[in-house]
Amino acid sequence: MTGSVRALIVDDEPLLRTHLAHHLAQLWPELEIAGEARNGREAVDLVEQLRPDVVFLDVHMPGMNGVEAARLMGPDVQIVFVTAYEQYAVAAFEQGAIDYLVKPFDAERLGESLARLRRRVAERRRLEAGGPSRAASVSGEAEAGAAALGKLPTGELDAVLAVLAGELRRRAPAESRLQWIRASVGQMIKLIPVDEVIYFRSDEKYTLVVWVGGEALIRKSIRELLDGLEPETFIQIHRSTIVNLRFVAQVIKGPNETAEVHLKGRSETLSVSRNHVHWFRQY
Amino acid sequence: MPFLPPAVTPGLDPELEPAPRSRWARFLRALSPRAIALTLISSLVVAVLMNPIFELPFMVLLGRTLFVGFITLVARSAALVWRQRVVPPWVLQSVTVFCAATLATLAVYLLATGGDISAVVTHWGRVQGFVLISGTGTIVGLMLALGALERQRDSEAKAMSLELALQRSRLERLAADARLAVLTAQVEPHFLFNTLANVQALVETGSPRAPAVLRSLIAYLKATMPRLDDGDAQLGREIALVRSYLELMHLRMPDRLRFTVDGDPALQGFPCPPMLLLTLVENAVRHGIDPSETGGGIVVTSRRDGGVVRLVVRDDGVGMGESAAPGTGLTNLRERLATFYGGAARLELTELAPHGLLAEILIDVPAADSQRRLQ
Repeated sequence: MTGSVRALIVDDEPLLRTHLAHHLAQLWPELEIAGEARNGREAVDLVEQLRPDVVFLDVHMPGMNGVEAARLMGPDVQIVFVTAYEQYAVAAFEQGAIDYLVKPFDAERLGESLARLRRRVAERRRLEAGGPSRAASVSGEAEAGAAALGKLPTGELDAVLAVLAGELRRRAPAESRLQWIRASVGQMIKLIPVDEVIYFRSDEKYTLVVWVGGEALIRKSIRELLDGLEPETFIQIHRSTIVNLRFVAQVIKGPNETAEVHLKGRSETLSVSRNHVHWFRQY
Repeated sequence: MPFLPPAVTPGLDPELEPAPRSRWARFLRALSPRAIALTLISSLVVAVLMNPIFELPFMVLLGRTLFVGFITLVARSAALVWRQRVVPPWVLQSVTVFCAATLATLAVYLLATGGDISAVVTHWGRVQGFVLISGTGTIVGLMLALGALERQRDSEAKAMSLELALQRSRLERLAADARLAVLTAQVEPHFLFNTLANVQALVETGSPRAPAVLRSLIAYLKATMPRLDDGDAQLGREIALVRSYLELMHLRMPDRLRFTVDGDPALQGFPCPPMLLLTLVENAVRHGIDPSETGGGIVVTSRRDGGVVRLVVRDDGVGMGESAAPGTGLTNLRERLATFYGGAARLELTELAPHGLLAEILIDVPAADSQRRLQ
C-alpha cells in the first residue's frame, strides 16, 4: 500500500472512543488514528481537514447525528457505522450492505469487520493508482478477488442513508402534535401539558387557555391550535372555542340546534354553535 | 368580559354544516306508526264527542275529522323536514298546524257545498261547524305536534349522552394502554447497550471504576424492572436511584453532563411512588442535555417548605420544544401522582432563562400527618 491507512473515530462518549482505539491498535496495528470527533459537525470538519481513509461513526450523537454526517462526507471515505442496538438502524445497515458494528462489540466481530475494511481500502487504492494520473505506481498488493468488494455504488448508499436519516428524524423527540402550551404566568413561562387543558377560548388577539392549574393568555390562534391538537380529544365547538372532551361533564341541547357544554369541576358553561353541534350527533 | 363568544352568524362556516340526513327519511320518521295511530284515535274521539252537536251522519263527521287530522299530520311532518333557522321549531309547527287544520276544514266544506263559498259563509250552521272542526283540529294537532317535538328532543339528548359516554370510555382505554406501556418498556435497549459498552470498556482496561459503575447499573436495573406493587416506595430510595442513573450518564458523557443530587435526609422516609423523580431526570437528560453538543447541568433537590414537599429537577440544557414528546414517563407521571397522592400532588414545568427547564413536584402534606411520617 502507498502510505498508511488513516482512520477517524467519532463518538460522543469518550470512553467508547478510547475503547475502540485500544482494540484497533491491537487488531490493526498499522492503522493510524488520525483524529477523534465528538459529534457529526466535528466529524465532517475533520474529514475535510484530515482526509482519512476510514471513519468509525457513531449513529446517535448530539447536534448532527452520524447518518447525516455520513451524507456530507462524500464517497471517498469508507464509513463503518457504530451503533448501540437499535433494530431499525441495524436492519437498514444490513439491507444496504453498509459496514456497521453493534455496541457492545467483541473482538471477533470487530476483526471480521476490519478484514473487510482492509480489502476495500486496498481495492480503492488500487483503483485510484490505476487512474491516468498515477498509472506508473500500480500497487501489486490488491487481492485478486477484491474487485467484487469494491465500494458500494454511491447512489445506493445515498438512498439508504437518506431513508435512515428520515427514520432518525422521525424517532427524534420532535413530534408534530402539540404536547405543551407555552404560556406566560406572571414573570414565568409555564409549560402546560395539553391534556391538562380544559378549554381554549379566543377573542381577536389572544387565546385564553384554562387548565387544571389556572388560566393564562397565549398568542396562538384557535386555527393554529387546532392544527397541533389531538383531534380525538380536542374538538372545536364554536368559532372561538376548543374543548377537551375529557373535561366535558354533559352536553345540554339548547334551542335552535345549539347546545351548552358543562365542564367537570368548573361552573362556567361553553356554548356550542349550530355550525359545530353536529360533532355531538355523528358517530 | 373579553371572552364572551361572539354572536353566531348563521352560515359562517358552510363547510362545517352537518351532512343532512335524507329529507325523505326525516319525513317518514315523522310519519311514524305511532303518529298515525295517535291521529286516528284523536280523530275518532273528536268525532264521537262532536256527534251530538252535528246533524250529520256519524260516518260523514268521522270522515271530516279524519281528513283534517291526516292533512295536519302530513303538513307538520313536512314542516319537520324543512331545515330552517329563522324561527324556533315549535313556532313553525304551530303555524303549520293552524294553517293545515283551517285549510283542510275549508276544503271539506267546499267539497260538501260543491265549491260554493257563499253557501258556506252565509249558512250559520256551516260556519259553526267550520269553526268547531278547524279549532278542534288546531288544538289537538298542536298537542300532538309539540308532544312529538319533545320526544324527538329527548331522544336526541339521549343519543348525545351515549356518544359522550362512548367517547369517554375510549379515552379511558387509551389511558390504560399507556399505563401498560409504562410497565412493559422501562429500559430502552439503546440506553442499556450503550451503558454496557461503557462498562465493557472499563472492565477490559481493568479500570478501578468498573465495580462502582456496575453497582450503579445494577441498582438502576433493579429499580426499573416492571413491578406491580409500590409497597415500600420511599423518597430515599428514589433519590438513590436518580443518583445511580446520573452516575451512569456521567460516565457516558463526562464532558457534557454535570449533576448535583441534594436530598433532604429528613425526607428519606417520605412516601414516593417508584420512578417519580427518575422520570423527570431522564426527561432532563433526553430533552435538555443529550441533544446539546455542549451539554449542561442537572440539579435534583428535595425539601420541605411548611406544608409542601418540593421535589425539584432543574436543568440548564436546551429546554423542551412545544411539541417535544414527553416520553412514556412524563405523560403518565401526573396519573401516577394522582393515584399515589390523591389530589394532593401536582407537577409544574417552567422554562428557565436563557434556556433549561424547571420541573417541580409539589405535594401538600397535612401538618399532623407530616410530623408522623417525617420523624
